[in-house]
Amino acid sequence: MNRTALVWRLASFAVAASFIALWQLIANLKLVSPVFLPGPDRAWAALVRGFSAGDLWSKLAGTLEHMTYGWLAASIAGIAIGAIIGSSRTMRTYVAPSLEFLRPLPVSAIIPVAIAMLGLTQAMALFVIAFGAIWPIMLATIHGFAAVEPRLYEVARSLQMSRLAVIFKIALPSASPDILAGMRLSLTVALILSVVCEILAGLDGLGHWVLLSARAFRSADLFAGVILLGVTGYVTSVAMSLAENRLLAWQAAQR
Amino acid sequence: MASAAKRLEAVSGTIAPQIAFDGVTLVLGGKTIIENLGLGVRPGEFLCIVGASGCGKTTALRLAAGLYQPTSGRVNFDGQPMREPRREIAIVFQDYGKALLPWRTAAGNVSLALEAGGMPSAERPARIEELLRTVGLPGHAGKYPSEMSGGMQQRLQIARCLAQEPKTLLMDEPFGALDAMTRQGLQDEVLSLVAASGATVIFVTHDLDEAIYLGDRVIGLLPHPGRIGIELPVNLPRPRDQLSTREHPEFLRLRRQLFDFIKATEQ
Repeated sequence: MNRTALVWRLASFAVAASFIALWQLIANLKLVSPVFLPGPDRAWAALVRGFSAGDLWSKLAGTLEHMTYGWLAASIAGIAIGAIIGSSRTMRTYVAPSLEFLRPLPVSAIIPVAIAMLGLTQAMALFVIAFGAIWPIMLATIHGFAAVEPRLYEVARSLQMSRLAVIFKIALPSASPDILAGMRLSLTVALILSVVCEILAGLDGLGHWVLLSARAFRSADLFAGVILLGVTGYVTSVAMSLAENRLLAWQAAQR
Repeated sequence: MASAAKRLEAVSGTIAPQIAFDGVTLVLGGKTIIENLGLGVRPGEFLCIVGASGCGKTTALRLAAGLYQPTSGRVNFDGQPMREPRREIAIVFQDYGKALLPWRTAAGNVSLALEAGGMPSAERPARIEELLRTVGLPGHAGKYPSEMSGGMQQRLQIARCLAQEPKTLLMDEPFGALDAMTRQGLQDEVLSLVAASGATVIFVTHDLDEAIYLGDRVIGLLPHPGRIGIELPVNLPRPRDQLSTREHPEFLRLRRQLFDFIKATEQ
């Protein structure tokens, strides 16, 4: 990291610290009733208490589990379906209108359908999360596969590569920047939908914890849950960035 | 030198062609690109194709590669009709930047051809190193194409084509995008690589000097639709030399003849 980057990084921490200070100030001055707004000190205490004495660990694990399984299912299905659609012009022409109808559909509208079909179960949550998270991945994969340099397909033909080899050695790596960008977007969608499903179906997780804390007016616990969700989103996004940098090292060379 | 003898025999016309165009016509999108093209390329021959832009030189090469199928007529390879591209026919594309895999290193790009040929992974590294050395890229195995100059990328593409162990090498204006010095160096390297491997070459270029310098025979195409307009055997001694060959009276005579031909087609 060079000097300028370091300065920027420090500045961004300073901004975050001043937001927390502002929050503490508002809480101390009781501009908002302490029943609804705990200060960072109380939220932090609730967080520590939740982990040491309460069941925050298991709630966190529950949310991570929903998110991960849903996201992985969405990734596998999204890449597979996207590859099939993206590698054929005919498929793109025929399937694109249906996709355009399904894609903007709010996933929340799917939830009642999923509950009616699957009940208030883990399977329902998995279905809803995967359904919501599949779109960015599938659309990015379709785009990535459609944008493969035609010259490379000619190279593959002149090498008489098998269809499978063309997919794994040419199309997938070529589409990988798009696919990874789609997976990153889906990560956020998966987290949001995990929380929504936990709230609606009462499944074990941070969403449920947040809901119960709010109903019991335990605002510090509520904030502890929200902070933990924020951290989860941040950490998974950073992990995704690291994975992207590693997998797309060849792109860094290109710039 | 066996290949020299073979080359002489090829030019004198005693053996069957490796690639044969027989009354080939190609219509693309309602437009006749190539009309009634008849052409035989003998094993070990170095054939250059020149012509004004849009005369169908590249199209002819793609027909020879099996990337296009003729609308009528036949393209034969070793007496068999070409139905699809084959591994023993390698193509060097002009746009090396698009023909290389940007996510694979130099070694990885060469490896692609070896993998396609079914070489066991244990044998690949030694062969890759050998091929990279052959094209003058030793020590660049770990570099990505984007970290290499244009000339180096084109060398890399040639290395990948050599990894196919081709009987025929098709080259589509391979040095068109390179500067003059790099171009001359690569011309000589291609000549010595071809002499060593005995491969047949069809070389498309818009550079008339390059065509005469490299070829055993130069064919000039007429445009709209593409057909043969001139055919010149090049009786210049080999190995060729950038200075003395280009000053040879025969070189100058051929050059004049080709220039007049191209000038006439452009009017």
